[in-house]
Amino acid sequence: MYDHDLLIVGAGLAGLRCAVEAQRMGLKVAVITKVHPVRSHSNAAQGGINAPLTDRGDDWKGHALDTIKGSDYLADQDAVEIMSQEAGEAVLELERMGVIFSRGEDGKLGTRRFGGQKVARTFFVGAITGSALLHVLYEQSLKLGLQVYEEWFVTSLINEEGVIKGVVALDLKTGELEAITAKAVVIAAGGAGRVFEPSTNALICTGDGLSLAWNNGAGLMDMEMIQYHPTTLARTGILMSEAARGEGAYLFNSEGDRFMEKYAPDYMELASRDVVSRAEQTEINEGRGIDGNVLLDLRHLGKDFIESRLGYLQEVSVEFLGIDMAEKPVPIRPGMHYIMGGIKTDVNGETGVPGLYAAGECANVSVHGANRLGANSLLDTVVFGRRSATKASEYVKTVKDSRISTSEHVEKDLNRIKKILNNKGRFRTSEIRNTMATAMTEGIGVFRDQKSMEYAKKIVEESKIKFRDSLVVENKGKVYNTDLLFALELGYMIDCAESIVHGALTRKESRGAHFRTDIKDRNDKEWLKHTLIYRDRSGELKIETPDVTITQWKPVERVY
Amino acid sequence: MEVKLKVKRFDPEKSKDNIWYQDYNIDIHPSSTILDALINVREEVDGTLGLRCACRASICGSCGMKVNGQAKLVCKTRVEEIAPKGEILLIEPMGNHTIIRDLIVDISTFFAKIEQITPYLQPDSEPETGEFIVSNESMDKLLTEMNCIMCGLCVSDCTVLEVDKTFIGPAALAKASRFVYDPRDDQTNQRLNYLNDEQGGIWDCTRCMQCVEVCPKGVSPMDRIMDLRESAIEIGAKKTHGYHHTNSFEKSVTANGRLDETRLAIESAGIFNISRLIDLIPVGLKALIRGKLPPLFPHKAEDNKKIQELAKKIKEDK
Amino acid sequence: MKFAFYPGCVARGGTPELLSSSLAVLEKLEIEVEELTKAGCTGAGVLQEKNPLLGDTINVRTLAMAEEKKLPIMTLCSTCQGVLSQANHKVKKDKDYLKKINELLKEEGYEYKGTTDVKHLLWILVEDYGLDKLKDHFIKKLSGLSFAPFYGCYMVRPSEALGFDEKPERQMYLEKIIESVGATAIEFPGKFSCCGFPVLFINQTNSLKMVSNHTGSAKDLGADAMVTPCPLCHLNLDGYQGKARKNNRGDKADLPIIHMPQMMALAMGIETKEIGLARHIVSTEEFVNKI
Repeated sequence: MYDHDLLIVGAGLAGLRCAVEAQRMGLKVAVITKVHPVRSHSNAAQGGINAPLTDRGDDWKGHALDTIKGSDYLADQDAVEIMSQEAGEAVLELERMGVIFSRGEDGKLGTRRFGGQKVARTFFVGAITGSALLHVLYEQSLKLGLQVYEEWFVTSLINEEGVIKGVVALDLKTGELEAITAKAVVIAAGGAGRVFEPSTNALICTGDGLSLAWNNGAGLMDMEMIQYHPTTLARTGILMSEAARGEGAYLFNSEGDRFMEKYAPDYMELASRDVVSRAEQTEINEGRGIDGNVLLDLRHLGKDFIESRLGYLQEVSVEFLGIDMAEKPVPIRPGMHYIMGGIKTDVNGETGVPGLYAAGECANVSVHGANRLGANSLLDTVVFGRRSATKASEYVKTVKDSRISTSEHVEKDLNRIKKILNNKGRFRTSEIRNTMATAMTEGIGVFRDQKSMEYAKKIVEESKIKFRDSLVVENKGKVYNTDLLFALELGYMIDCAESIVHGALTRKESRGAHFRTDIKDRNDKEWLKHTLIYRDRSGELKIETPDVTITQWKPVERVY
Repeated sequence: MEVKLKVKRFDPEKSKDNIWYQDYNIDIHPSSTILDALINVREEVDGTLGLRCACRASICGSCGMKVNGQAKLVCKTRVEEIAPKGEILLIEPMGNHTIIRDLIVDISTFFAKIEQITPYLQPDSEPETGEFIVSNESMDKLLTEMNCIMCGLCVSDCTVLEVDKTFIGPAALAKASRFVYDPRDDQTNQRLNYLNDEQGGIWDCTRCMQCVEVCPKGVSPMDRIMDLRESAIEIGAKKTHGYHHTNSFEKSVTANGRLDETRLAIESAGIFNISRLIDLIPVGLKALIRGKLPPLFPHKAEDNKKIQELAKKIKEDK
Repeated sequence: MKFAFYPGCVARGGTPELLSSSLAVLEKLEIEVEELTKAGCTGAGVLQEKNPLLGDTINVRTLAMAEEKKLPIMTLCSTCQGVLSQANHKVKKDKDYLKKINELLKEEGYEYKGTTDVKHLLWILVEDYGLDKLKDHFIKKLSGLSFAPFYGCYMVRPSEALGFDEKPERQMYLEKIIESVGATAIEFPGKFSCCGFPVLFINQTNSLKMVSNHTGSAKDLGADAMVTPCPLCHLNLDGYQGKARKNNRGDKADLPIIHMPQMMALAMGIETKEIGLARHIVSTEEFVNKI
C-alpha cells in the first residue's frame, strides 16, 4: 500500500520546488510523474527568470507593474505583489542550491533584458535557464532522498465526498494500476500545449493536471488566454527564446523594415509577447512575410556573443535549419507556447477543493492574466510551488488518517481502461488529436472571432464523441503501452479544449492574448473579469465571471 | 521523400520470437528528423511501436537510440543527413541499457551512476543573505558540463561499460567535474580522491572518444575525465596505475622525445608491485623470443634535447 | 608522390614488422618518403592528460617541420594520426593558442602557419594513390580469405578533427583495401571500438575482455585474420590474445592480427620473411598457408 502525507503530481520546477519545501518541513512526501524528472518540460524555458533585486536598486513595484501591464490588467494584483516581493529571495535561493547563473564583473548575479520590461532584471544561464534550474532542483531532490514514482501516469484522483485523498495511477513499466493515498495532493503537472497544433510544447504537455482537477470540482480560469510566442522556428516550430531579442536581435519583414516601429515604437522588439505576435501575424497576413514567416536577425551581435550567450539557439538554428545565425537571419513565426489560464487557486495554491492544491503552468493564481511576460513563468513555478507546500502542510496536519479502502477506485479505472482497449473503433488517438489540435489553432489563434471560435467548439464536440465511441488502441499489452497512454492523455486534452473554447466564447472583448477581430477593444467596464468554468459530474458547465482584484494599479491604456 | 526504417522490436509479453526487426516505409519531408519519421510510423502505421520522446528540441534527453549502430538523439538527427539517398535506417535501442520494450530502455542504472558521485553542491556554509560571490568566468566554464541533458548516449556507446559495469561512466564523471570545478563547492579534494580511488573511477576510461563523438550537447565527457585526472594528480592523488602510466609517459617523451615502452610497462605497474610485474612476464618472454620486445635502450629522437628544453620552458611558465 | 614520413614510436619499437612491411610496400608503389627524424612522440593522448600544452607543442613542432619541407605528413599509426590531427585541428581553430605555441617554438626557429596535411597511409592509398592503380600491384589475390577490419579509435574519432565531415567515406577505407586485395571484409560490430591497449597497464581485466570480445566475435563471424592500421591495437590484440581468450572465453588465441601493410605485401607477392609475420605472438602459419 502506498501512502504519503503529501503527493505531488508532476516533477517539473513547480513540483520539485514544492517537494523540496515539503520534504524540508518533515512531511512524508512523494512525487508522481509520467516522465523522469529531468525530462519535464520546464527544461524548455530558455531565456531566464525575472526578479527585482531590491538590494541592488530595483523596485518590486516596477516588476509588479510591468507584469500587470503585460497581463493587460487581467492579473490579480494581490497575487502579483506576492510574486514580485518573493522573487528576489526565490532566485537567490536557487543560486545557493547550485544554479550557475551568469554573473557580472563583481561576481554577483548578472541580468539581461526581457520583453515588456525596461529594466534588465532577468537572471539566466545561457539559453538553458529552465534546464539548469530543473537539474539543480533534481539534485536537491536526490540530496533530500525524495521518493519519486517515476514513469507513473495518474488516471484519476481519489475523491471521497468532495475531499481529495490520493490518486489512482498506472505504472507504465509494469502496466499495473495502483492506488496511492495521501492526505493532500498538489497538482503541478504543467501545461496543455498539445491541445494545439503546432505548439512549442513537448509531446507530454497534455493538460493532465487541469483535467484531473476540473473533474473533481476545481474551476478552470481564463482558459481562453493562450500565449503565442513571437519567435518559433520556421517549419519545425521549435522555440527561439525571447533572450535573442533581449540581447538585441531585430525583426524584419520581407521588405527589410523593422516593422515593430509601427506597432510598439517605444519597446520595439521587446514589447509584450501578444503585441509582437500580432504584429508579426499582421505583417504575414498583409503579404510582407516570407513563406509565412518573418526574420529574426542577430548578425550584428557577432558570432562570439551569440555562441556564448545564446548557444542553444545557435545550436537549434544550425541543426534544424542549417542557418548560422551570425551569418543569416532566421525565419520565425508566432507559435502556441503557454496557457495563462489554469486551475484557479489562491495565492497559497488552494483550489477550493479540500485536499487539492495546484502550482505552476497548470495553475492560475492569477499572475499572468491575459498575457505572461517572458521569464515570469519560471518565477511563478518556484514562488507558488513553495507556497503551495507550506499551505498544504498546514492542511496535512489536520488530517488524521489518509488510509482508506481504495479497491473500488482502482476497479473503476481498470474498467475504464478495459473499455478503451476493447473498443473496436476506427480512429487512432493521433487522428482525433491532430484534427482537434489543428482546429484549435485555427479557431483560437493569434486572431479570433465568433465564427472561428464556434468552429473550434464544433470540432471539439465531435472529437469528444469520436473519443467516446470510435477510438481504437492497437496495443493491448501491459508493459510500457504508450498507445494506451496517449488515449488516456487525449481524454485530458479534450477536457482542456472544451474549457478553452468556452472561455473564449464567453469573453466578449479583446484583451491580451484574446484578440477578437470582431470586437477589437478592451472593455474594462464590463470585462475586468475572469472567466471561470466548472463542470459537474453530469458534464454540465457552469460559467462564472468573478472580478479581477485591483490593489494599487488602475487599468490604463496599454501602449508599448 | 521515401524513408526506409528497419526497427529492432522487443515485446517482453511474448514468450517466443519476442525480438524481431520490422521494416517501415513512409513518405516524409526530406528535412524531417528521424524522430518525425518514427512518430509518423506510430501515428499512421503502427500504434504499437514503443519509444520515448518529449520536447522534439534536443533539450529533454528522452529520445536516445542507435541509428546505424551509433547512439543519436533522433530529434536532432535529420533523415537526409544519415540517408541522403534513401538508404535503410537501422534503428535500435541504446546500448549498455536493459531494454524494456522496443526502443524504450531502463534508465535506472544510468541515474544510479549519477547518484554515485554525490550530485549536488556541498558548500561548508552558505551566505546568510544574497548569493555566493564568484567570478563569471568560473561559472561560464561550467556551462559545458551544465549542457548535459542526461540522455545517456555516451553511456550507450561507452566501450568500457561494455566490459565493466562498475565503471562510473562518462555522464556521471562529467557531472562530477561540474562540482569539482565549482568554486562554491567545498568537497573538491574528497570528490577527486573518491573518483581517483574508486573501482570504476577516472583511470578506467580508455580514451576511445566514443562519448565525445556521440554527445549531442558538446559536453565532451572524455575531456572532462581528462581534466579530472590532471586535477587528481595536482592534489597528490598518485597511488594509481593510471598516474604512473601518464607520469612515465611524460618522463619518457621528455627525456628521449620518444616513447620507451619497456619502462612504460614496468612503471605503470608500479616498480614495487611485484605481482603485477610478474603478470607482465609471460607476454614479455614470448615477445623476447620472437624478437619483438621493445629495445632495452630507448631509441631517441634526434634533437631530443630540444624537447627537453620545451618541457622545461612549459614547466617554468606554469 | 612524396610525403614527410612519421612512422611513430611503436613502428620503430614494439612492432618493427610494421615499419619493414610499410617500407616494402611504399617502395613497390614508388611512393617517396622523407622521415622527420627530429620529430617527437605525439604523446598518444596520454601525455595530454598530464601536460596538454607540451603534447600540443611537440605536435605543432612536427607539423612545422613538414610545413618547412612543403610536404604532407604520412603516418602509419591510428593513434599518431589521431593525435596529430587533433593538435592540427585545435590550432587551426584557435589562433591565439597557435600564437602561444609558436612563441615556445621560436627559439628553435619553427613557426607553424597551419598548412600541413596529416594523412595515414590508409587514406593516402585511397585518396591520393587511387584504388584502381593500387589493384594493379596485387598480383597474388587473397581471394577466399576473410578479414575483420579493426580501425583503432583515433582514426575515426573525433570525426570533426579527422575530416569526416568532408569525407565521411573514410570510415569504409579499410574494407575497400581488403576488397582490393581480393579478400572479403566481414561486417563485425567491434570495428570502431577500443582495443583496450590504453588501459592494459591500468585495468588489465577490462583490457583483456575487450581483446577477447573483438577477436572472439571476429573469429565467430568467420574471419581468418584481423587487419588493422594501428600498431597499438596490434600490440594488444596480438600480444595479449592468448591470456584474454583463456580468461574470458576459455579458448585459445586463434586469430592472427595483421598490419594493413602486411596484408598488402602478401598480395604483392613480397616474401613473408621480409614483412615479419613470424614476429607475431599469435601464429600466422595456418593463415599464410591458406593463401
